[in-house]
Formats: sequence, structure tokens, C-alpha cells
Amino acid sequence: MSDILDMRDVVGGYGEADILQGVTLRAAPSEIVVIVGPNGAGKSTAMKAIFGLLHVRGGTIRVDGADVTGLEPNRIVEAGVCYVPQVNNVFREMTVHENLEMGAFLRSGDLSAAYDRVYALFPDLKERRKALAGNLSGGQRQMVAMGRALMLEPKLLLLDEPTAGLSPKYMEQIFQICRDVRDTGVTILLVEQHAKQALAFADRGYVLASGANRHEGTGAELLADEDVAAMFLGG
Amino acid sequence: MGAMEIVNFYLVPGIVVGSIYALGAVGITLVFAILRYAHLAHGDLATLGAFLALAVVTLGGVSPYVALPVAMAVTAAVAVGIDRTFYAYLRERPKIVTVMASLGVALMVRAVVQIVWGVDSQTYTRGIVRPENWFGIRIRDRELITVLAMVGLVVALQLFLKYSKWGKAMRAMSDNPDLALLSGVDNRKVVLLTWTIVGALCAAAGVFLGLNYELKAMMGWSMLLPMFAAAILGGVGRVEGAVLGGLIVGIAEEMSALVLPTEYKAATAFAILLLMLLVRPTGLLKGKVL
Repeated sequence: MSDILDMRDVVGGYGEADILQGVTLRAAPSEIVVIVGPNGAGKSTAMKAIFGLLHVRGGTIRVDGADVTGLEPNRIVEAGVCYVPQVNNVFREMTVHENLEMGAFLRSGDLSAAYDRVYALFPDLKERRKALAGNLSGGQRQMVAMGRALMLEPKLLLLDEPTAGLSPKYMEQIFQICRDVRDTGVTILLVEQHAKQALAFADRGYVLASGANRHEGTGAELLADEDVAAMFLGG
Repeated sequence: MGAMEIVNFYLVPGIVVGSIYALGAVGITLVFAILRYAHLAHGDLATLGAFLALAVVTLGGVSPYVALPVAMAVTAAVAVGIDRTFYAYLRERPKIVTVMASLGVALMVRAVVQIVWGVDSQTYTRGIVRPENWFGIRIRDRELITVLAMVGLVVALQLFLKYSKWGKAMRAMSDNPDLALLSGVDNRKVVLLTWTIVGALCAAAGVFLGLNYELKAMMGWSMLLPMFAAAILGGVGRVEGAVLGGLIVGIAEEMSALVLPTEYKAATAFAILLLMLLVRPTGLLKGKVL
């Protein structure tokens, strides 16, 4: 089966300077791929490049075979990619249900199956569907953000540090939800600060440093790698 | 002075002018929330709407209430045209540039009104209307219709924002523009829709101001400050807050005549605005902080 994400030698940045100096990422169908690395390695930047939020000056990005390099974010959504930013990732003044509705903005027709699917993944949200998203806890807000992204039934879900600022209990819960989402056939690419935990749970991982690939392999391989351990994981 | 005199000479006119301010303030709050700048041509768009209705009344020989929807539709189109011609080019620039541009637009719109309709005061209908007496409270038909029309328009807008797909898109754009764009909302359509609604509301405010008082080229401009005071008082981005703010400013202005010389009516709105910004800048209903 062909890769859902095929990003090759991407060079680019926000302004004049290139933050990414040639990043290559791949993700197979129904795979959880994690990007780890030290601060300033370009982890989130690599993710934003996929979603068209960056000036890409070199390399190509393909989603499920289609070239999306340099497209506007809304076109990339149409190509089947959804992105959950790290912060400000819900509509605070709208209800949980309305947040999901906004996620499905580009879809028409009967959405009840999509709502059922999301509410099945996040039973907490079903109970609080009429609550304003801004009034929820951090963990529940993250669920709303993921649920919103899943309403479009994307092929590829991009999560930028979904566990930042969450307690270990919620972190485990978010990881479990990621596995459940993967098992419904969605490929997940996520950026993580908690490198150890993330590598332990992901199918595969990439270690970036200074805007370039440093290591790649299965989570277990990377965790066992002495160089990775010494450089990024604090031994 | 008896209670009835206060109701008839201060409270009723206050509610009527407050309803007119409310119509304008709702538009101001929408522009603030979705486009994120102060629109200084708001009053003069209302003037244009009022005079467009006058044209329909004089050319078509119809009542101002028939002219109202026509004026609302044409002013909505003008507002969209103004956005396309002037503001659209400035969208990526600092917002203060657009605010200044809107001041220029205000002067242009007013100049057009003065060229076409002259500078003299005009009215939709001649003659004096006697107020109806409702258990001692005297209300003219047009006053009642002004208040009811305001309530009707605001309720319709609220239902649109709450339940329709594009109404939700407008709220989403106001709430979190980046996320709205990530969700695939087309910003240009939201801007177009916003100006259509804002233009129509401007015209309604202008027509009802002209109906209850008189039409003159400065009518909208002189209403700008109370409308802004009402929008900020209610909380920026809060439609129901803008209505509440409009009524409070209108009633406060009329009531101020009880204790202050009437020349200070306009200063009342300014005082409310200053006080609100000092004490509670998010407004009564907790709007956005600008």
C-alpha cells in the first residue's frame, strides 16, 4: 500500500530564513508516527509545512499520492488532512456540538454517522455536548479539538503537542484515543515533547534536530538507541 | 413633575432613540468582532440608507415602511461595494489603516448625500402625527414600529447566527479566525455576509432616525458616538449586549435632560463610554478585549 504521507527533502520557513533544512517524513496507512527532538528542532514547523502554513522552497509533499506542495490550507483539508494546533484549538464561545459542526463545515449531507463516531471515541464530550468549549478542562478541550478534526474523516490527522500541559492521566487517555482513532483507519502524525512516552506508544518515530532528520525507526528502536537517549531523552 | 410626564417625555423617547442606536450598535459590534476594526463610516452609511428610502418614498409615492426593505437592500449592496473597493485592499495591513480609511469613506458617503439630496432638512411625511394614548402613556405609531422593528431584526439576526451554517461560520470567525480558516471556512464569504447584514442594519437605523426626527446630511455622523458607546457598553461581539447598550445610552441621554441642559445630551454617551472603558472594558456582557 502506498504511503498516506510522503514528504521529501522539504526546505522552508516562515520568512526569509529556512527553518527546515531538508526534512523527510513518511507515514503508512493506519500508522501513528511521532516527531520528537529538542526545542527549536523544527518539529511543529515540519507539521505546519504539511498543512500549507509555511513557505516551502524545496522538496515535495504528497498526501495519498496527490501533490499538495504549496497549496492553501483549505485545499489541503480537501485533500484529507486535518490539523489540530497546539493552542487556541477550539471555538471557546461555541458549544462542544457546534465545534464538531464547524469541523464538518466542508461536508454536506447527513452527518449523524460522523457525530456518532466522534461521540463514541469521546463519551465525555457526548455528556457535555451543550457546554461551551471554553468552559471545559484542558483535557476535554483537547478532545474537542481532536473531535473537530475527525469530523471531516481525514486520511491524515496532524496533532501538534496534544498532551502539552496535561496531567499524566490525561496524557495516557489522549494516547489511548490516538490508538482508537488509528484503529478506525486514520493515519496520525504527532509532535511530542514527552519523547519517552510518545516513542513508547507510537508505531514509528522521527528524531529531528536543527531542522533536519537525525534518526528514524520504530519507537522501540529509537528508545534503545544510545545517541537518541543521550541527546534528547536525558538518559 | 409626575411619573407620567417622565415616562412620556423622557422614557418613551429614550427607548425609541435607544432602539435606533441598538440597530447601529449591533452592526458596529459585528464589524468589531469579525473584521476587528472600528468602522467610522457606520453613521454615514445610515444617512445614505435614510436618504435612499426618501428617494423611494418621493419617486414611488409609497410609505417609508415600504421603502425600508428597499433601502436596506441597496445599502447592503453599497456596504459590500465599499468593502471591495476600499477595505479589501487593506486587510493585511495594520487595522488602524482601515479605521482611517473608513473615516475617508464616511466623508465621501456624506458628500454624495449632500450632492444628491442637498444640505437642508427633509422629512418622509408632512404634518404632525398625534400620539395614541395607551392608559396615559402616549406613543406614536412610528415609535412603536421603530421598537418592534428593532426587536424583530435583532431576533432574526440572532436566530441566523445561532442556527444557520453561515451564521455559525460568522461566530466561528469572530471566536477564533485561525481555526475557522483551518476548518475550511471561506473568509471572503464571511466578510461579504457581514457587510450585507451590517449595511442593512445601518439603513434600518437611518430610516427610523429619519422617521422619528428628520433627515439631514449629518444625522448619521452625529449618531456615531452613541452607537459606539452602546456597542462597547454591551460588550464587543455581543449582539444582545449591543441592544442593551443602545437602550441604556438612549434612555440615559433623554433622562440626562432632567438634570442637565439639553445641549449636554451628546456628552452623556461620551461619559458612559469613558466610564465603561475605565471600569469594565469588556462591557456588561463580557465581550472581547480590544
